[in-house]
Amino acid sequence: MWSIAFALRTRRARPVAAISAAAFAALSLSSQGFVQAFAATDASAPIAITITSKGCEPNAVTLPAGKTIFKIKNGSARVLEWEILDGVMVVEERENIIPGFVQTLTATLKPGQYQMTCGLLSNPKGTLTVTATGTTAASAEPSASDLAGPLAEYKVYVTKEVGDLVTKTRAFTDAVKAGKLQEAQNLYAPARQHYERIEPMAELFSDLDKSMDARADDFEKKEDDPAFGGFHRIEKALFAEKNTAGMEPVADKLMQDVQELQSRIGVLVIPPNKMVGGAASLIEEVAATKISGEEDRYSDTDLWDFQANVDGAQRIFNLLRPLITPRNPELDDRVQANFTKVDGLLARYRGADGQFQNYDKLSPRDRNALKGAITALAEDLSKLRGTLALD
Amino acid sequence: MMTKKPPPADAPEIASVAPTRRHLIAALGTAGSIAAFGVKPTTASAADCTPDQESDGTLDSQPFFGKRQSGVVTPQPAAATVAAFDVLADDRAGLEKMLRILTSRISGLTKAGPAPVLDPKLPPAESGLLGPQLYPDNLTVTVSVGASLFDDRFGIAAQKPKRLVTMERFSNDALDPKFCHGDLLLQICSNTAETNIHALRDLIKNMPDLIALRWKLDGFLPPHTIKRAGKDTVRNLLGFKDGTANLDGRDDALMDRVVWVQSNSDEPAWAAGGSYQVVRIIRNLVERWDRTPLAEQQRIIGRDKMSGAPLGMDAEHDIPDYARDPKGDRTPLDAHIRLANPRTRETDASLILRRPYNFSRGISASGQLDMGLLFVCFQSDLNAGFLTVQKRLNNEPLEEYIKPTGGGYFFVLPGVPDESAFLGQGLLGA
Repeated sequence: MWSIAFALRTRRARPVAAISAAAFAALSLSSQGFVQAFAATDASAPIAITITSKGCEPNAVTLPAGKTIFKIKNGSARVLEWEILDGVMVVEERENIIPGFVQTLTATLKPGQYQMTCGLLSNPKGTLTVTATGTTAASAEPSASDLAGPLAEYKVYVTKEVGDLVTKTRAFTDAVKAGKLQEAQNLYAPARQHYERIEPMAELFSDLDKSMDARADDFEKKEDDPAFGGFHRIEKALFAEKNTAGMEPVADKLMQDVQELQSRIGVLVIPPNKMVGGAASLIEEVAATKISGEEDRYSDTDLWDFQANVDGAQRIFNLLRPLITPRNPELDDRVQANFTKVDGLLARYRGADGQFQNYDKLSPRDRNALKGAITALAEDLSKLRGTLALD
Repeated sequence: MMTKKPPPADAPEIASVAPTRRHLIAALGTAGSIAAFGVKPTTASAADCTPDQESDGTLDSQPFFGKRQSGVVTPQPAAATVAAFDVLADDRAGLEKMLRILTSRISGLTKAGPAPVLDPKLPPAESGLLGPQLYPDNLTVTVSVGASLFDDRFGIAAQKPKRLVTMERFSNDALDPKFCHGDLLLQICSNTAETNIHALRDLIKNMPDLIALRWKLDGFLPPHTIKRAGKDTVRNLLGFKDGTANLDGRDDALMDRVVWVQSNSDEPAWAAGGSYQVVRIIRNLVERWDRTPLAEQQRIIGRDKMSGAPLGMDAEHDIPDYARDPKGDRTPLDAHIRLANPRTRETDASLILRRPYNFSRGISASGQLDMGLLFVCFQSDLNAGFLTVQKRLNNEPLEEYIKPTGGGYFFVLPGVPDESAFLGQGLLGA
């Protein structure tokens, strides 16, 4: 039995192996691209197919696009595999189905005409007709065009923030290099906020993120580690050592990195799941490293970063609200309430001049209140991608 | 060959053991003695045997004497303590004294017998954690040494295993120097945390002038899953089965190839029967992980979370066929299991034997849980093994959810063949 199954596989292996790189690229797009994800519908009742020695029963199936559960029963006497084919390409398959056994396969299929293999190669192939769902209910997944608007607006936002980051970092690094201690101190937090607002996009380029925003904790020799550079190395010089000596190369490298980030983001096509997931990532940043005050330990300017992370998350959420509200109004309400709460708490520590007080001014009670609201936001925002059916 | 010396006066030998048992251990090979002592092996066939209903596991034991140390290829019990030390001995004689005491203490601790009774006007001889009748409880204490032991203190620099180096930072690491490296590492494993603590306190108490604790971390595994070893796989704190594709420690030929340094290798002659040990303290950012869509978790790891099956396959132990998935449509090219073990002929040389534990300790400065994986692995070649695997894993998507914060590289000393010998004897050329 095993040898027959093996023979079936090896004979079929040739056409599959012969698929060109272009065909694989197409396969990869169709199974992972977001266009496909938008077309998905919830799994409905499983479709049962029995494979006999003669072929598939039923031999022709029509089903809606989206996620479908197939229950494949081997009613023949041989071990077999079952495949869904799109032309010569194998879209999904189950191998080694033992006679008398049922195997389950979950497939997400786009509208179109597919074939299914039915045991022996000499058996006729069955057909799978996948129809478009065409649903327009509010609970359905948003279409690519629904997301195109928010994505375009977000790209504008990110581009503007990176532009401001470049301008303000130049002023900041110039002051550092000129040894203007107080001026550099004043420019530190305002420059960083533009980075913190778009941190999830910056983190798409982990080399730059590590070089610009690493903290001493990331290095075994901590502050004495020669690899410790970027914003926080300069922060230490400005606020702990109160001396800009030796910071010139660090400032130059930071400026180079910021410009490199701008050029990379300029050509970046923001993936929808990265934008939507970015709201949660920003709040996770706050929960993991801002609540403790460890991010800006020398300058105590954590509230700037804190506010910037929250701003960045709120911007993403607001751009998506037209899609979220009809699908989950309670989620929308909770998230709005928690953003309002966090903004209110942060506003207590911000002067009329827009300057934040030092993080150590926060009362333990306010810290805990922030922590509660932030953690609740993290929980709720983690559901955004699923709510919009973005894998 | 050394003749047996009486134990030092400040290190009273605790348990004595029936000579028959002792000689039986010495007479049998490592694998043979495991079977002889009824330690439940992990094979499916052995698990089918009727278990000893009487045993609560306290009398389970692992051999101490043998060609190789226990605690490497032997099955993992539920509890572990990994403790690193600075060696305080001033010279080679002090180092030898430490290794002799270690040998005698560990050989005693891994046996059953009465606890010593001293004059109550004196502090007791040991912690008393196990009561008046000491029991082995599956205890192993595996002794390994770090690169720093081979500095100029003991005149053994020329004997350093060729690939033994101080652990260096990988790109996602945030190493805490208070949890890194060490001259000496003791990996203490048994059925319970108490037995490990009993052993650790005994060892510390008996050579305070020779070793100083540098860092330690406790690990655990679910006892019920371990009992079903071979039929079930432990889950790590990310909720995924961890160890499905691990190597079989009972496959002697495989262990000789992957884990144990062989006498015909380019290592110093004394190192044969030893192994490179990697310890990594890997924090899991569990709050964030728990807020990550299941489908993404599964893509990051490359397995179905509940069944453990490789993505697109049916069962945990199905072997993914990456050759048929060259673009990563099923198992993303950067999925953890695919990077860790690409299953190609070329990557076969980077196989390692993993022996990790879960850990949980306190909270972070932000009030998040500090828990994760106490990663331990063994290999005969550190470069070809862990270092090669970790280089493949660098920048994997999982890094967003994990943070290595400590550990080190060590070399497991060869075993102690019998009571006339001591740990590291070959290293010292004694």
